[in-house]
Amino acid sequence: MNLVEKILARASGRARVTPGEVVVADVDRILLHDLSCYLTARVFEEEVRQPVCHPDRVVVVFDHHFSPPTEEQARMLQENRAWARRHGFHLFDCGSGNIHHVALHAGFIRPGTVVVGSDSHTPVHGTLGCFATGLGNYSHAALGLPFGKAWFRVPELVRIELEGTTGLGVTPRDVALFLTGQIGEGGMVYRALEFAGPYLEGLEVFDRWLFPLITVDVGAKSGHVQPDERTLSFLAELTGERPEAVRGDGDDVAEVRGWTVDGLEPQVACPPTVGNVHPVTESAGVPIQWAELGGHGGGRLQDIRLAARVLRGRRVHPQVRFNVVPSSRWVFTQALREGLVEDLHRAGATWFPPSTGSNQAINMGALAADETMVSTHARNFPGRNGGGRMYLASALTVAASAVAGCLADPREFVR
Amino acid sequence: MRMRIRGRCWLVGDNVPTDAIVRSHLITRPMDEIRRHVLEGLNPRFPLEVRTDDVLVAGRHFGQSSGRAIAVRALKATGVGCVVAESFARTFYRNAFEMGLPILECPGITGRVSEGDVLTVDLEEGLVIDETTGSQLQAAPIPPFLRRMLEAGGIIPIARQLAEGTDR
Repeated sequence: MNLVEKILARASGRARVTPGEVVVADVDRILLHDLSCYLTARVFEEEVRQPVCHPDRVVVVFDHHFSPPTEEQARMLQENRAWARRHGFHLFDCGSGNIHHVALHAGFIRPGTVVVGSDSHTPVHGTLGCFATGLGNYSHAALGLPFGKAWFRVPELVRIELEGTTGLGVTPRDVALFLTGQIGEGGMVYRALEFAGPYLEGLEVFDRWLFPLITVDVGAKSGHVQPDERTLSFLAELTGERPEAVRGDGDDVAEVRGWTVDGLEPQVACPPTVGNVHPVTESAGVPIQWAELGGHGGGRLQDIRLAARVLRGRRVHPQVRFNVVPSSRWVFTQALREGLVEDLHRAGATWFPPSTGSNQAINMGALAADETMVSTHARNFPGRNGGGRMYLASALTVAASAVAGCLADPREFVR
Repeated sequence: MRMRIRGRCWLVGDNVPTDAIVRSHLITRPMDEIRRHVLEGLNPRFPLEVRTDDVLVAGRHFGQSSGRAIAVRALKATGVGCVVAESFARTFYRNAFEMGLPILECPGITGRVSEGDVLTVDLEEGLVIDETTGSQLQAAPIPPFLRRMLEAGGIIPIARQLAEGTDR
């Protein structure tokens, strides 16, 4: 069996499972953010009203609000707090960081487990060798909270093999954007993805992170990296405990697809969709007014380091507002220690509290109809942040564009 | 749950995101307001003219992006009786069954039905019949677990059955 089948078989108490069948499996972790927590709580309290089966498995992170801008939102967060406390869930309040980074840093994600959440980027936890996927609020309210379970249609597995070496100015984020464009939105509907190959295996954990992150955008159910020595030492350092690794047997794969990253140019997802990916050179010169490091895929320490490489000794363009949103308090602490907070601040960037940043413009990042943003975020659909147009790119491209005042090829900035 | 739905056909294309079903800024508005804006960016006549039991026909990967349940609730609130698509984003697929919105995967439907045609959807047999043209399409069968959920009216009734032990 492959990794997904092994995990689902264990969790559903079966000797084996096969693609296409529906199983009801035990869930090891339920992740809810401030928006989904509110909706899930309402369904649960109004329509289900059962005791919670495993409250210690539920993690609530307020990440779309670092601070509520309206009384209505403040009330919603108060209801969430009361609900989380009443049931004894783990609660991380405003300013903690992005839900997925917080859950990982707190040691809640273990290889071989089933991780679910309402956030559609929950599959990112496959980075550590979990079966992780996004479910609706009704799944959590009806089966997850009262019974500790969820239903899954067992997916077919596709292995994505990446090889080669990227050139100067080309980052793992560019490779992930490139793959989204190559596979296409909906190109892997219902399937699970296994990211593999020498390029991928050579990346550190938080760079591998960018690959399971794209699974939802290509329509896949989950995406993972088989746990290896790097995964296990990362977790040992994080939690002080070396976990058991579950690995797939390597044969039960429906399809293998491969790409080389040799010669790849920096990539940008252009409006209006995440799959509209092109080399940055094709969009260079498009004026921007906003740049942001943040979101599920950005605001990592790696992103802040990359931006600092561009910004040291340079200034953010006077027509551009450059917002930097660390993905966790840990990232901000590290950025402070490395002098990156001062580097970016002096260059004219604005630091925001750890959070998910301007995703859906809940507490920041609304665009006027004639404005354009380039960011490390994961989504660029029209209407998501008000009016305006959104480009998605690597931290290097975001920082280079912030300096240039328009979409810019970062290779000219990191020679 | 009725297993046969008859209504007029509405069309949308591939990769429709939940953001286009309900725009982000409307999420917290009352449903009575939300339903009057469903899909307006893609098909402005839809929210104004849709009638109870109409059938929405979509391309590939319908309901992608955020897995927000409100996209399904809003479609239900418009009166749409069934959504038929080449394929669905998996979060939309789950939400639809869990909230009792009938859906059918019907590969090959793109280009075979036209907006305004009268369609009959038979969930039991997995058939889409275009009464205007007389053509008939076979959809993918609904897995037994999900058929049970559809018949029960969603996942909440299933949870009640589990809690009461009437499931066993």
